[in-house]
Amino acid sequence: MSSLEADVLVIGGGSTGAGVARDAALRGFTTILVERRDLVDGTTGRFHGLLHSGGRYAVKDPSAAVECIAENRILRRVAADCLEDTGGLFVATPWDDPDYGDLFVKGCEATGVPAEEIPVAEALRREPRLNAEIRRAFVVPDAALDPWKLVWGCARSAEQHGARILPYHRVLDLEVVDQRVLGALVRDEHSGEEFRIHSKVVVNAAGAWAGQIATLAGCVVNVRAGMGVMIAMNHRIVNSAVNRLKFPADGDILLPLRTACVIGTTDVFVPDPDDTEIGRDAVDLLLDEGEKLVPGFREARALHAWAGVRPLFEDTRDVAETRDVTRSHALLDHMAREGVAGFVTITGGKTTTFRLMAEVAVDAVCRQLGVERRCTTAEEPLPGSESHTLYGLDTRLAAREPVPQSEEIICECELITRSRLEQTIKRRATTNLDDIRRLLRLAMGPCQGGFCIYRATGILHHGDRVDHTEANRALVSFLEERWKGLHPILHGDQLRQARLDDWIFQGILDVEHLPA
Amino acid sequence: MSYDTLVVGAGLAGLTTALRLTEQGQKVVIVARGVGATHLAPATVDVLGYLGEERVDSPASALTTLLTDVPGHPYGRVSRQQIGASLEWFCRRLERLGYAGGLDHNGLFPTAIGVARPSALAPRTMLGGDLRDGGRFLFVGLRGFKDFHPSLLADNLAHARLPAPVTARALELEPPAERRGDLSGRLLARRFDSGELTDWLVRALQGRVEAEERVGLPPVLGLRRADETLADLENRLERHVFEVPTLPPSIPGMRLYDTLTAALRKAGARLVINAAVVGAQAHDGQIESVQVASAATTMSYRTHSVVLASGGFASGGLTLDSRGAARETVFDLPVAGVPEDGATRFVAGYFDAQPLSRAGVAVDDLLRPTDRDGSPVYRNLHAAGAILAGAVPWKEKSGTGISVATGYAAADAILAPSAVGVSGSIG
Repeated sequence: MSSLEADVLVIGGGSTGAGVARDAALRGFTTILVERRDLVDGTTGRFHGLLHSGGRYAVKDPSAAVECIAENRILRRVAADCLEDTGGLFVATPWDDPDYGDLFVKGCEATGVPAEEIPVAEALRREPRLNAEIRRAFVVPDAALDPWKLVWGCARSAEQHGARILPYHRVLDLEVVDQRVLGALVRDEHSGEEFRIHSKVVVNAAGAWAGQIATLAGCVVNVRAGMGVMIAMNHRIVNSAVNRLKFPADGDILLPLRTACVIGTTDVFVPDPDDTEIGRDAVDLLLDEGEKLVPGFREARALHAWAGVRPLFEDTRDVAETRDVTRSHALLDHMAREGVAGFVTITGGKTTTFRLMAEVAVDAVCRQLGVERRCTTAEEPLPGSESHTLYGLDTRLAAREPVPQSEEIICECELITRSRLEQTIKRRATTNLDDIRRLLRLAMGPCQGGFCIYRATGILHHGDRVDHTEANRALVSFLEERWKGLHPILHGDQLRQARLDDWIFQGILDVEHLPA
Repeated sequence: MSYDTLVVGAGLAGLTTALRLTEQGQKVVIVARGVGATHLAPATVDVLGYLGEERVDSPASALTTLLTDVPGHPYGRVSRQQIGASLEWFCRRLERLGYAGGLDHNGLFPTAIGVARPSALAPRTMLGGDLRDGGRFLFVGLRGFKDFHPSLLADNLAHARLPAPVTARALELEPPAERRGDLSGRLLARRFDSGELTDWLVRALQGRVEAEERVGLPPVLGLRRADETLADLENRLERHVFEVPTLPPSIPGMRLYDTLTAALRKAGARLVINAAVVGAQAHDGQIESVQVASAATTMSYRTHSVVLASGGFASGGLTLDSRGAARETVFDLPVAGVPEDGATRFVAGYFDAQPLSRAGVAVDDLLRPTDRDGSPVYRNLHAAGAILAGAVPWKEKSGTGISVATGYAAADAILAPSAVGVSGSIG
């Protein structure tokens, strides 16, 4: 059996894991990251996309608010290309407690979250589709965050500093000898090959799955999976992130995300973080809450629904015993907790504070290794963000406009050219169209792949590397996966679209009868 | 304005009904929001291609089983003779497009991904692709036309379950172009119509087609004179040449639409496109007039009969709201086949049977929409095509067949209602 060696082995390819890998690599540690599926396929890729100002937590959880605004300011510099500066609004609808507004003002003052009250008329001028019955409105520095760009940016930066990023590598076991974690046994999910990775410290950044990983080292991490459902709606119904001016609750965020917008979220504990079926009740709740913010929302065109699982850390011990546990995230040094050396868990938290979580995790790594190395991720921009220019809604179109007809556009919704698709397929060496979707946003537009997925399958097959069975499997599994996010929200125009897509794939192409 | 029959919808069902009524001497108007599903579909006439998992060889014999298994199927509302007669009428009426085939045996035509797809009738430009007798096939892609991937097509076809051995290979050619952007189907069709691409294609294929090979092309051989282009290519290449249908917009479907609407106009029917039926007046169970809104104005049309051929969910004839309630959008007719309130409309497996997929308008034996107790909502309102309840046309491969057969039968019901007491006569 072959093996790899590193100072730091990171388990988990979400924002936390990628952030840890980058931070560790920047501090000069040899680093390997393993992820059982693709990067950004877990919680980070399934959240609403809001870079919090902290306003949401200003009353309920002031320390989280302080962290959010600090990280918000940092990410605007170092991850500018992953952010659209949508700005945010907190608005009080007739359904919201009128007294909360004053609490919000005090909370924001106390936590340093800039919140400026504007007249309702001005809020309606900025967001004409908002419910005209709103009573108060505050402006906050929210932004829209592209989780795929963020995580891949961290991964590429880590690689530039010598790290190895290994998606589709599943941890089968942790190697524990004399109360010390010496590394992991992993399996390459594509080739089936199993091998060992020896490391000085393992960082468990598996999010809602962190408890499963900790068990492999004989440690206990109580992470509960809080499932949240989100729905992407066609068009930018709003142009800034709109939050309800009330105690955080279900369905109280409506966020513009590129050419669509997202409403979120719900919160239900699920026993298994891999089992996240979206119920009609969650969809109804979100549509009803959306209707309160934007009249007509219920019957507007919903594009897709998805569910993510928040890792909610619950310590069974006295809080005084655990180090650095804030309510916003949990850093668990298993040396201090259980006497197991070389093993650190970072969980809980939110994508907005992923960089801070990575920093405290790598600080713990330094302590374990008895070295002092300064964190630089608050200053060092991610690849693509060197100019500190925030991403704009028009950025992508502006890049294509000078040469609109220079080559085939494979996905018209997301403006993906043939060469870009071909290069990405080659670089990722993948036959999984979902991997390509996450990288390029292929098939994320209104038609949900109705037109581009046959084309992409043809292009995937075009080289010599992929035979018809693999190409067919890629197409069929893409359609099956896509349907999971479609069937819960099908009504109105999106049912019409889905029925057209049924005609295309089942009627015209007849993919149901492809050779096995 | 006063008409014998007002037809709502300009898809295959509406056009079939309107042409059949017009040629029988009726004064007919078609009112439609836009062109119909002809522009989306391959232009074959698919009567019945699958019974469950079983590929159908003979629709004539499979129909009996279908109606036993699915009693509420639209084919149960028309007679076997009407289905046969509708196909014969269709072939005769569209002679220019050279439709061939029939109810006794399905042809097997390759799809753009390389599946052998059963159809009862195919237009002349597709007949050369019939796979039933096996043979050697060359599929030619045109670089820049992104909706046709010949290597995937050929690779799949070579592994398909077929009655006779097939070999298939692929070739991609680069048509002359001023730029390297998208070449749309319409653009290519225009360039075939002008003869420019025909000459180029013959030269480009010189010496590259093997003996006995048939040549499959994307469905872009022209909008105006595809038949001449086909004949020209076949003569000069000395091979069979055929089109393989692919994603919308469908150039062969546009030819079908153009041919049908030209015949309608010639016969004296009126087409009002970009208009919507927004209301109707009824008296004593009969629709007497219909309100039609177009860009400028709303007008009242008096009519003796109405045929609703507005399509299913894909065409906007039916809608589903966010609470799962289905609605027929023109006359607010009852929608059958909708699961009870609160019951699931869709299940999680994409290829599984979806509870809502047979939803539509239930009709009596004169194809008149019925209410819950089975009596007609209006005595002079008939329905045809994809709006009818009971079929899963994209799975059955029955969509265009249902449109032609029920469009034809709706005309029969209007012309001679007493002569078509067809209940149960299909078996």
